[in-house]
Amino acid sequence: MNRPVRSELRPRSGGGAPWPSWAAATAWSIAAALGATFLLAVTAGLVDLLGDGDDTTALLVVGGAAGLMAAVIAVWVRPPDRIRDADVLCAFAASLVLFIGTVTGLFLLVDPATSLVDALFRAGTSATTTALEANPVDPADHAVRFLVGGAQWLGGIGALLLAVAVLPFFGAGREFADRSRRGGRRPMAPDPATAVRHLFVVHGLASAFTLIGFLLVGVAPLDAVLLAMATASTGGLVSSPDLESAGAQWVAVIGMAIAGTSLVVLWRLGVGRARSLLRSAELQAYLCLLIVGSILFLLWTDGSGVDGIRRAAFTVTAAVTTTGFPSTPGGNWAPAAPVLLLGLVSIGPMTGSVGGGFQILRHRILARVATRELLRQLHPRAVIPARMGGRIAAEDTLARVVVTQFLFVSVLFLTAAVVASAGLELATALGAAVHAISTAGPVRTLDGTLVDVGSWPGGVRLALLPAMVVGRLSVYPAIVALGAGMTLIRDRVRFRRRLTTSLGRTTGGRRPSPGTAR
Amino acid sequence: MSPFRRLPFGDRWASTTASVVGMALLFVAVGMAMATLVAAVDGRDVVALGTATAVTGLIGLVLFHVAKPDSQDQAAVFSAVGTTWLVASLLGALPYLLAGTFAVAGRPWAIVLADSLFESISGFSCTGSTVFGGHNPIESQGPGILMYRQLTQWAGGMGIVVLVVMVLPSLRSSGLGLIDAEAPGMGVDRLAPRISTTAIWFWGIYAGFTMLVAVGLFGAGMGPFDAVAHALSTASTGGFSTKDASIGHWDSLSIEAVLIVAMLLGGANFTLHSRMLRRRRIGHHHDPEFRGYLAMIAMGTLLVTLLLVDDGMGLGRSLRSAIFNVVTLGTSSGFGNATGEGSAGDFTSWSSGPQMVLLLFLVFGGCTGSTAGGVKVMRLRVGLSHAYRTLRSFRRPRAILLVRQGRNTVPEHLVERIAGFMVVYGLLVVVGTMVVAALGTDLITAAGGVIGSLGNMGPALGDAGPTASFADAYSTPARMALAVLMLIGRLEIFPMLLMLVAPYRAVDGATRGMRIRLRRGRHR
Repeated sequence: MNRPVRSELRPRSGGGAPWPSWAAATAWSIAAALGATFLLAVTAGLVDLLGDGDDTTALLVVGGAAGLMAAVIAVWVRPPDRIRDADVLCAFAASLVLFIGTVTGLFLLVDPATSLVDALFRAGTSATTTALEANPVDPADHAVRFLVGGAQWLGGIGALLLAVAVLPFFGAGREFADRSRRGGRRPMAPDPATAVRHLFVVHGLASAFTLIGFLLVGVAPLDAVLLAMATASTGGLVSSPDLESAGAQWVAVIGMAIAGTSLVVLWRLGVGRARSLLRSAELQAYLCLLIVGSILFLLWTDGSGVDGIRRAAFTVTAAVTTTGFPSTPGGNWAPAAPVLLLGLVSIGPMTGSVGGGFQILRHRILARVATRELLRQLHPRAVIPARMGGRIAAEDTLARVVVTQFLFVSVLFLTAAVVASAGLELATALGAAVHAISTAGPVRTLDGTLVDVGSWPGGVRLALLPAMVVGRLSVYPAIVALGAGMTLIRDRVRFRRRLTTSLGRTTGGRRPSPGTAR
Repeated sequence: MSPFRRLPFGDRWASTTASVVGMALLFVAVGMAMATLVAAVDGRDVVALGTATAVTGLIGLVLFHVAKPDSQDQAAVFSAVGTTWLVASLLGALPYLLAGTFAVAGRPWAIVLADSLFESISGFSCTGSTVFGGHNPIESQGPGILMYRQLTQWAGGMGIVVLVVMVLPSLRSSGLGLIDAEAPGMGVDRLAPRISTTAIWFWGIYAGFTMLVAVGLFGAGMGPFDAVAHALSTASTGGFSTKDASIGHWDSLSIEAVLIVAMLLGGANFTLHSRMLRRRRIGHHHDPEFRGYLAMIAMGTLLVTLLLVDDGMGLGRSLRSAIFNVVTLGTSSGFGNATGEGSAGDFTSWSSGPQMVLLLFLVFGGCTGSTAGGVKVMRLRVGLSHAYRTLRSFRRPRAILLVRQGRNTVPEHLVERIAGFMVVYGLLVVVGTMVVAALGTDLITAAGGVIGSLGNMGPALGDAGPTASFADAYSTPARMALAVLMLIGRLEIFPMLLMLVAPYRAVDGATRGMRIRLRRGRHR
């Protein structure tokens, strides 16, 4: 569908015709990726001054250049009159891929000894908030540590933008966006621009509260910032010994639980409309998942006492919210415990949060589709609408969620097959694929032992990268972007037309009549 | 004489479920009687099989005479089909119980009962998973019990209810609904104007096909008893064998070749076979589902062969192992050609790559209208087309995009039905894996077992490979959970899940007056 572009984005003076929808979207995606790179590089350069400061100049120069290019592109673009939904989704996917590319460049810049594959994998796991590496970074290297943390935080913001400001307006599930002003309430996302503004406020506050929490339990300031970034973005890729302490783990549990909560819920809490929240089936399911998961985990890992409860809460919250902070096994794990964690990771947190996985709302929609199908078996001609939270889900939304599930499982199996073909054990390959597409870490063996994905061959790690990107983009936009990209390439290359032309025929396979002008 | 005569104590009980169950049990009793005859050759298990025949036949006879077909609505159809399979499977365990087949010294009776039920359900649902092996080898059983196992699969292959419809014209229009609820796929192609004639056609082709396979296997070097026994489980794509090592016992290329062809035909739509016989012309290649089915098997074989060669196995051995195992899992037969643990045919000893490919084939299954289980090729094709259409609709929001199967357009209600089926299937796999894992099984064995049971495949991955016994791989509660999934999978999910709706409605209707009186009394 085509949507009118906001008047602020239109050119204020003459100077050329508007760009086509796809061209403008592509240019904006490049500008967004470069803008994020600017923020990341400049801040990392400044943070490096806290250490030896040897990378500061390079980071500031590269960051400045990226910012300049982003500004030039943003000014240069002539916005189209109407923009297509598919182009917005493609632009979003392209900007994530570009961002991973630029972060890879930054890693290579600050640590030239790193191989391209290592840098790309680290950039991928950071920007997609997938903590697959167990011990990623040297604690003394401030610039690299901040690049990892910052890339996760920006990746988290990207995920929130997609969930709150892009998909409800340009993708599926528009009927579930918080737009109603009924009863004098202030909605979270009445339009995309307001949604983005509210998003920054809520996410910024959540990150700040988490940071204060870490500082209060005695974590060093830089470590607290990095831990807060990794927690608020559900990234989980951080190397800090402070995370082993009980206080830091409890703060992380609360921080992760907040990060896995829908932004709409947090918004309503903020504007004082919390009374109806407890009736939200999705919130109930999320809390139930955290509590029941922790109890089951405690039972299956022979944990006991306050330490056992803390460890269970920490591990389960890290799994449900797809944060993936590493936690070592505290005893003999029953075979069901790693399966439970894998299940929780693939279920994921609330929709509209930073977390990955398939997410609870989509699971509820699938359950509703399943129930409706059972009813339809009994009453084949009945019209049975699917209601979610008092609203009727559009048939389009249902179809897209079902297709998303299909694509989720397909990408998972494909990734597992590729990884397994490279020689990994079947269980590890499946586990790695589930974690990659759910953007969660770390991978565990069947007895719960942590697997260091960083030590795997380069090919295997690169095979996991597409799944991480697809998972971070909530599957659907990634596939739409892939399809659009392939169509674009096909249209540009026009292989078939060239072939038929070279064979002396027109596209339709008919020879032109003698009098036809070419 | 009309079967609807008056009973001495009043009218007959109007219940489609009881009527169909009664007739189905009579057929099961006939199967048991045939096994008793085979058992009489060496005298073992004759009493057990004879007693089981008598009990099953008696219950069937009583139900058939007491009940008459009644309601035609969908809930009654699901109840009839679901209950028939459940009762047939329960009473089908009698021969194992009475013969003490699983009563190994020191085993508690509850486990013996569970194992008997598991073997019976695995047989009727054509799954082919077995609790034989290890301390209780199949070879230690008499020919009667062995033939009975094979017959359960044969009866389950084309469907017990199809048999009932064949001989019960009184079911009238609900006959089509019954077959529809039982048959694998999205509906029944009528081969004749009368549904009972269609049922006769199906069973006729099935019986003829079984005989052909038996002759082929005999010609390839199997003994007559084994040839007949394996023909029964090949035509039904069941996978039970008379040997612990399954087909690996013979280690014969010609036997495997016959079985590969037979399994491929068993996994194809029987309507295609019927059309071929009636028109005297092979038309299988015109069917898009059949072409997709063969293409998938060919691609899977090629991929597994290449991966096995890459792992260092010789090309000939790789090709043989690959084609046999891909076909046996792709058609949901579940035979094994492993000559022992860790041999070339034992796919659990392969590297992860080929195992992953086989895991995909555990999900796919054969064609609709075949005896095979799994999701079915047609559903996958329609699912893929639907996904492609939904993605395209993003680029072209105003275009009217249709889902096509060959040259035909698939109706929207069917697309929705398939999408719903796949959602329920996926949820069952996830929930089943969690349950089986919670009962003490590792991830791969649990997931493999659940996918294999729901798709009626037989062997699974992990500890439940082609040379393993399910008694060793899973705990007793986990085996029961798998048995339930086998029945759900055999009836394509919905009839088993909805079989209690009709009884619930009946009880609800009968007790409504009582509840209203109680409520009024409370208010007073």
